[in-house]
Amino acid sequence: MGDARSEILQGTLDLMVLQTLEAMGPLHGYGIARRIEQVSEDALQLNQGTIYAALLRLQQRRWISASWGTSDNNRKAKFYAITRAGRRQLAEETANWSRIAGVIGRLLRLSER
Amino acid sequence: MRAFLWTMLSRIRGVFGARRLDDDFSREVAAHVDMLTADNIRHGMTPDEARRAAIVRFGGPMQIKEQQHDDRGLPFIETTLQDVRYALRSIVKYRASSIVAIATLAIGIGAGTAVFGIASAVLLRPLPYRDPDRLVRVFETNPLKGWTRNIASPANYADWKTQNTVFTDVAAYEQFSSNGSGAGDVFLTGVGEPQGLKALGVTGNLLNVLGTAPLMGRTFTDDETFEGKARVVVLGYGLWQSAFAGDPAIIGRTITLSGRTYDVVGVMPRGFFFPGRDVQIWLPVAYQPSLFVNSRRPHWLGVVARRRPGVSLPQAQDEMTSIARGLERQYPDTNTQMGVRLENFHDSLAFEPRPALLMLSGAVGVLFLIVCANIANLQLGRAVTRARELAIRRALGAGRGRLVRQLLTESLVISVVGGALGLALAAGAGTVLSRFAAAAVPLFADVRVDRSVVLCAIALSLVAPLVFGVLPALASSTPERLSDRGATSSRSTGMLRSVLVAVEVALSIVLVVGSMLLVRSLLRLQDVDPGFNPDRVVAFTLTLPGARYPNAQARLLAYREIERRLREQTGVQSVGATSTLALRGFTWTGDSTVEGRAPTDYERELRHQSVTPDYFKTMGIRLLEGRWFDDRDRIDQPPTAIVNEALAKKYFRGADALGKRITYGRPTDKNPWITIVGVIADEKQDGLDKPAQPAAYASIAQQMSNPLTFVMRASIPTDSAIALARQQVGAVDKDLALTDVTTMQAVVDESMGDHRFRTTLLSAFAGIALFLAALGIYGVLSYFVSQRSRELGIRLALGAKRSALFALVIGQGIRPVLAGAIIGLIGALALTSVMQSLLFGVQALDPPTYAIALALLGTIAIIACAVPALRATRVDPLVALRDE
Repeated sequence: MGDARSEILQGTLDLMVLQTLEAMGPLHGYGIARRIEQVSEDALQLNQGTIYAALLRLQQRRWISASWGTSDNNRKAKFYAITRAGRRQLAEETANWSRIAGVIGRLLRLSER
Repeated sequence: MRAFLWTMLSRIRGVFGARRLDDDFSREVAAHVDMLTADNIRHGMTPDEARRAAIVRFGGPMQIKEQQHDDRGLPFIETTLQDVRYALRSIVKYRASSIVAIATLAIGIGAGTAVFGIASAVLLRPLPYRDPDRLVRVFETNPLKGWTRNIASPANYADWKTQNTVFTDVAAYEQFSSNGSGAGDVFLTGVGEPQGLKALGVTGNLLNVLGTAPLMGRTFTDDETFEGKARVVVLGYGLWQSAFAGDPAIIGRTITLSGRTYDVVGVMPRGFFFPGRDVQIWLPVAYQPSLFVNSRRPHWLGVVARRRPGVSLPQAQDEMTSIARGLERQYPDTNTQMGVRLENFHDSLAFEPRPALLMLSGAVGVLFLIVCANIANLQLGRAVTRARELAIRRALGAGRGRLVRQLLTESLVISVVGGALGLALAAGAGTVLSRFAAAAVPLFADVRVDRSVVLCAIALSLVAPLVFGVLPALASSTPERLSDRGATSSRSTGMLRSVLVAVEVALSIVLVVGSMLLVRSLLRLQDVDPGFNPDRVVAFTLTLPGARYPNAQARLLAYREIERRLREQTGVQSVGATSTLALRGFTWTGDSTVEGRAPTDYERELRHQSVTPDYFKTMGIRLLEGRWFDDRDRIDQPPTAIVNEALAKKYFRGADALGKRITYGRPTDKNPWITIVGVIADEKQDGLDKPAQPAAYASIAQQMSNPLTFVMRASIPTDSAIALARQQVGAVDKDLALTDVTTMQAVVDESMGDHRFRTTLLSAFAGIALFLAALGIYGVLSYFVSQRSRELGIRLALGAKRSALFALVIGQGIRPVLAGAIIGLIGALALTSVMQSLLFGVQALDPPTYAIALALLGTIAIIACAVPALRATRVDPLVALRDE
């Protein structure tokens, strides 16, 4: 619908969260949401609350862990960190993603001709 | 997969920590929104604006929280828990009907579980042997003698054992009594007080055929069957514990049984029994090898065999039948028409109680259905009063499925509570029943609450709501408009409730007819004259050990001395003794020759027993003709007999028996003639329900028997009489012990024990069924009256007579009863015909029984109808109209 913001797939959000935590170290939910928005240069503007569904899913699978801590400006917040299983999963998904992206890219280029 | 399992685990945990996790998440969301707000302020918004924008950006914290809540736990379980909580609330709210539902369910499930407990102990629980299904009991059959399941003669047993190819081995055990397991009495001395034990004589291979490994030591070897090698015993676990305090060094110890020494070679494990739990010790039969060759006429062996793998029971039966035919040709003298019957060993043990247990299981199933129908009825009644509540819930968005689910959850909660109570009831009933049912439950069965019994209670609790809950839930969740009168639903639920009442009535009739048949049988049985007077007579058995009382003379002296001492005690009126106590059923039988008949014309199955002269007087048996035994009937005088009326009638066909002569054995045996000196009225032998068989009595002076059962009529209390007997017997021989101590009244009661057991249970079931049916009728009719009080009021106001209203209501109530009664009578006709084998003196199609059952049901139905009908006539027209 002509909007520059895109709907994002569930699995994609999970992957983005994992990658963010891998790159930035432990972060709270707001931090993760901000970071994803920044990286996507606000192309992906999500309801920040939806990040929590992804965070719960990842926690339930033990790919990330969570604990209460204090933020930079002295606020109580829950911090998430990637686990070893999470890194394994991230590596797998990244490879997977590149493969699919490659395939789709080729497919789109083909149909452009 | 791993990730999936972690997720499930985490969700399950989520169910329990739901509240804490909700709070945790609320704080997290609050922190997020705060940070977002702070950032917004930093970007120049006013605090209010900043906060509103933050909430928009976050995207509806409430929805997110709810979504999070569902994702975290298991919504299905949580809804169920919520339904359970709701169910508990509504159970408390509709207290009266809930209590009725739970109580009736507890009775239904309790009765079902208790009966199942007994049936499973007798019919289902595997016997403690290796591959018990391959064990077979082998009986002799003989139409000439009326035998269908008889014990075997040693020589027949030996031929079966050597000639067959279908069994891995064939073993035998002695059956010298029909009391209990057929085990005899031995006396353990040298370990505390002399102690009477139930001992079973077995062939050396018996315990190996059963295949249960001993706890300690070994079982017997084949050659220990025979005299000379047989001074060895195997102890039961219970005896090892009680008499030897579980002595771990018991193997090899020498013990003294009835004056002879034996080596203990083995101890059987706990829980082992053979063939009943009363047997405490096993010892070899100790026969001469020649006995297994020559002894073909007397029959006293129970025979157990183990089928070879791959051989079916019919195959084994075929081969054994052809072996029996061969023996018949070879030994026409003894084996004419002698056949063989094979039964699965467990089935043979459960042969007698099975029909009654199956009947009771069926009856308790019917009772369970009635209970369910009754609760369905209650639920329907309640659903109508709840129509408003349900309509509101529907209006608030609950779908039909959701309502049905919630109503079913309610049923399940009621059922589980009722089931738990029922199990407790069954456990309590189990202990009462097993005492009460001692005569009805065979000796091998151990009635207790085990896993299968608990599973049965659980299964019933889960099945019940399906039976009683689904219909009302469907009926009361049908969409209808929000009205506080529920008038639309009342028609269809009213119809449904009438059908349920008819079902209850029909099922109740079946139970009532069945129980009436049993009650009438029992009354007939109690009216039967046993042929003796059991009042104030105690009985006990004495066995003189062969080691110290080697011959008839020594035994006669000892028995006479005991009798004399007892007779002289104050309070003792009379003392006698017999080799076979009335109603105990077991005695020696044999062919008999009547003087003057053709050499081929002889009688079979004459029962003979030996008595002391005072036996008849003590038992109150009537002399019809001739004289009692006295000092004339000595060993050096011609043999004499007293015979019963059954013999006089059968052998002499109405002619006078007195002075006639008979012998034991066939004409060709040329045994000495015995003169009949007296004829007595029959005493019952096998049971009150069985006609007396021809019997001849000899005096112990001429025909010694050991053991003897003493009977003593005394005016002193039973306990003192027994103590007196113990003391006087001890004075004659301190190593003698009394066994099978009882009263004749108890013997009579015991012989009716199984009748009484099934009659009491079935009557209780029928009583409950009737009560529940009445409750159902009452409930439906009360509802009818309360729903139509307005109409009734109008009718009254328009001049209807009160008696007409009464008739109207009664007519309404009696319709389903009539329908149910007709269906029930047809069902009863069909079902009770299978009960014929359980009845005595009553036909299954006994018209008075049906009349009584109908009258009973009619009375109860009319009472149940009359209460609401009376209420209808008391309707005040003004109040009824103003109520609107």
